[in-house]
Amino acid sequence: MNDMSKDKNIDIQIYNFAYLDENTKRMIRRALLKALCIPGYQVPFSSREMPMPYGWGTGGIQVTSACLIPKDVLKVIDQGADDTTNAVSIRKFFQKTANVAVTEKTSDASLIQTRHRIPETKLKEQQILVYQVPIPEPLRFLEPRETETRKMHALSEYGLMFVKLYEDIAKHGHIETAYAYPVKTNGNYVTDPSPIPKFDNPKMNNNPAIQLFGAGREQRIYAIPPYTNVKSLDFEDYPFEAMKANFKCSICGSSDSYLDEIIVSDDGKRSYICSDTDYCKEQTQLNSKEEDQ
Amino acid sequence: MMQDFLFKASNISKYYGQNVGCKNVSLDINSGEVLGIVGESGSGKSTLLNCIYGNLKVDEGDILLNDKSKTILNFTKIDEPKLRLIQRSDLAFVHQNPRDGLRMNISAGGNIGERLMAIGHRNYGEIREIASSWLEKVEIDVSRIDDKPSTFSGGMQQRLQIARNLVTKPRLIFMDEPTGGLDVSVQAKILDLLRNLVRELGIAAIIVTHDLGVVRLLADRIIVMQNGNVIEAGLCDQVLDDPQHKYSQLLVSSVLQV
Ligand SMILES: Nc1ncnc2c1ncn2[C@@H]1O[C@H](COP(=O)(O)OP(=O)(O)O)[C@@H](O)[C@H]1O
Ligand SMILES: [Mg+2]
Ligand SMILES: [Zn+2]
Repeated sequence: MNDMSKDKNIDIQIYNFAYLDENTKRMIRRALLKALCIPGYQVPFSSREMPMPYGWGTGGIQVTSACLIPKDVLKVIDQGADDTTNAVSIRKFFQKTANVAVTEKTSDASLIQTRHRIPETKLKEQQILVYQVPIPEPLRFLEPRETETRKMHALSEYGLMFVKLYEDIAKHGHIETAYAYPVKTNGNYVTDPSPIPKFDNPKMNNNPAIQLFGAGREQRIYAIPPYTNVKSLDFEDYPFEAMKANFKCSICGSSDSYLDEIIVSDDGKRSYICSDTDYCKEQTQLNSKEEDQ
Repeated sequence: MMQDFLFKASNISKYYGQNVGCKNVSLDINSGEVLGIVGESGSGKSTLLNCIYGNLKVDEGDILLNDKSKTILNFTKIDEPKLRLIQRSDLAFVHQNPRDGLRMNISAGGNIGERLMAIGHRNYGEIREIASSWLEKVEIDVSRIDDKPSTFSGGMQQRLQIARNLVTKPRLIFMDEPTGGLDVSVQAKILDLLRNLVRELGIAAIIVTHDLGVVRLLADRIIVMQNGNVIEAGLCDQVLDDPQHKYSQLLVSSVLQV
């Protein structure tokens, strides 16, 4: 037996499948089922200590842990990329503790954990998208009291949410909120979509996949079941717009995917590339195929 | 026959453990009327006001509102969502301290617009126009619309709170010492403004104060409270010019000395 496999054996002995113990997973699954029954409603759950700091997406990791089964194919992205430190660590964590197959291809994944993006490739039925959420309460910035925000949700008192958009327009001439743009789920609960760019908001609407949200530090889980109406809040005279930088990806040439701005030379020259690395690769391949023909 | 009252509270009692907050108080008010509640500090005025607004749960009594569709609603019987809906459509509450009634980190325009947005206004241009017209009404320079109340003087803050409350044209407004913490000259201006707005809009008001000058200026009728009980009630001029109860006589005479 070589050293590698010895280590692996030890891991499997030490950790339950996907790290969390079965009782904890059952508790989280109950919260998830409740969340799916009441789309957009924040279900409290007793978040566990995870072997990583909160900023690393412990809420999402616990949700993923509770959902994973051995035949799952896992994809992990951070800001759309599979190769950032955060994504690599989480992917390794589940390879080590659950020994599941992993992929970078959106269409091959059965479960995708994400921070700050929704993949460009359309999701399908049978897929699960798990969002890492820092602050689950969309009213928090305006109303610090939890007792009040709960009541506001319960009674659909969302005037205050529009005050935030009003303030944006008053200050900037347009709705400046570009990330974590609030949505109304199933015509009922106002929901924080996590800090995804508002460009991604329309992808949440009527999506065939299951969307699950986990906030570790704040101990909340919420969900959007497949094919649920998700509407971004707006004013009649300032309608919602899914905006992105008006450029083409300098790698694949795509003009309809969300772009990251990067500085490419010492003198500050800028360039734009797809934030979704898998989508960019796919587009590049498609392009070269077309050239071959 | 059913009386044509707007609002009626009967036999309201509220206890804080052993202490009496208010005891067996009844009052009624017709639309467009201003009722003053007077009495010294600790006599139960704020308790009574918060009870009949629906902010404090009463131990005994009924609170009836004759709503827009002429249905009588009993605050002690309806559920919380319904009560909160009435509180933000038919009613309004002006606090003594503007900090309790304003959102200090939201612009003046946003403060006025909130109630509009809460009842479904979704047109930014319209909301802003209405907010501007209300700033004018309460004599705040419209150029301050995007400034936060924290940059306003106490008197301006209080006028903003009044605008924020009146914007949805409630039918009854509750006020607890609305000029309490302000300088005398600032008080006079706000009282003047209140009197004009209430008359112009035909809004009924219940105003709590320990200051008889305030009720003399604003109220049609008053009730006098002592130790949680109502000891005298009647037309404002009548009670102030010819008080019957010993305590009322004391109150009136002490104000004359000022
Ligand atoms: N939250 C409370 N807990 C206990 N006692 C209270 C509370 N609020 C008021 N009281 C008591 O109830 C009585 C009436 O108080 P309050 O309604 O504030 O009078 P006012 O507004 O006329 O000054 C006083 O004796 C006061 O000490
Ligand atoms: Mg008081
Ligand atoms: Zn690209």
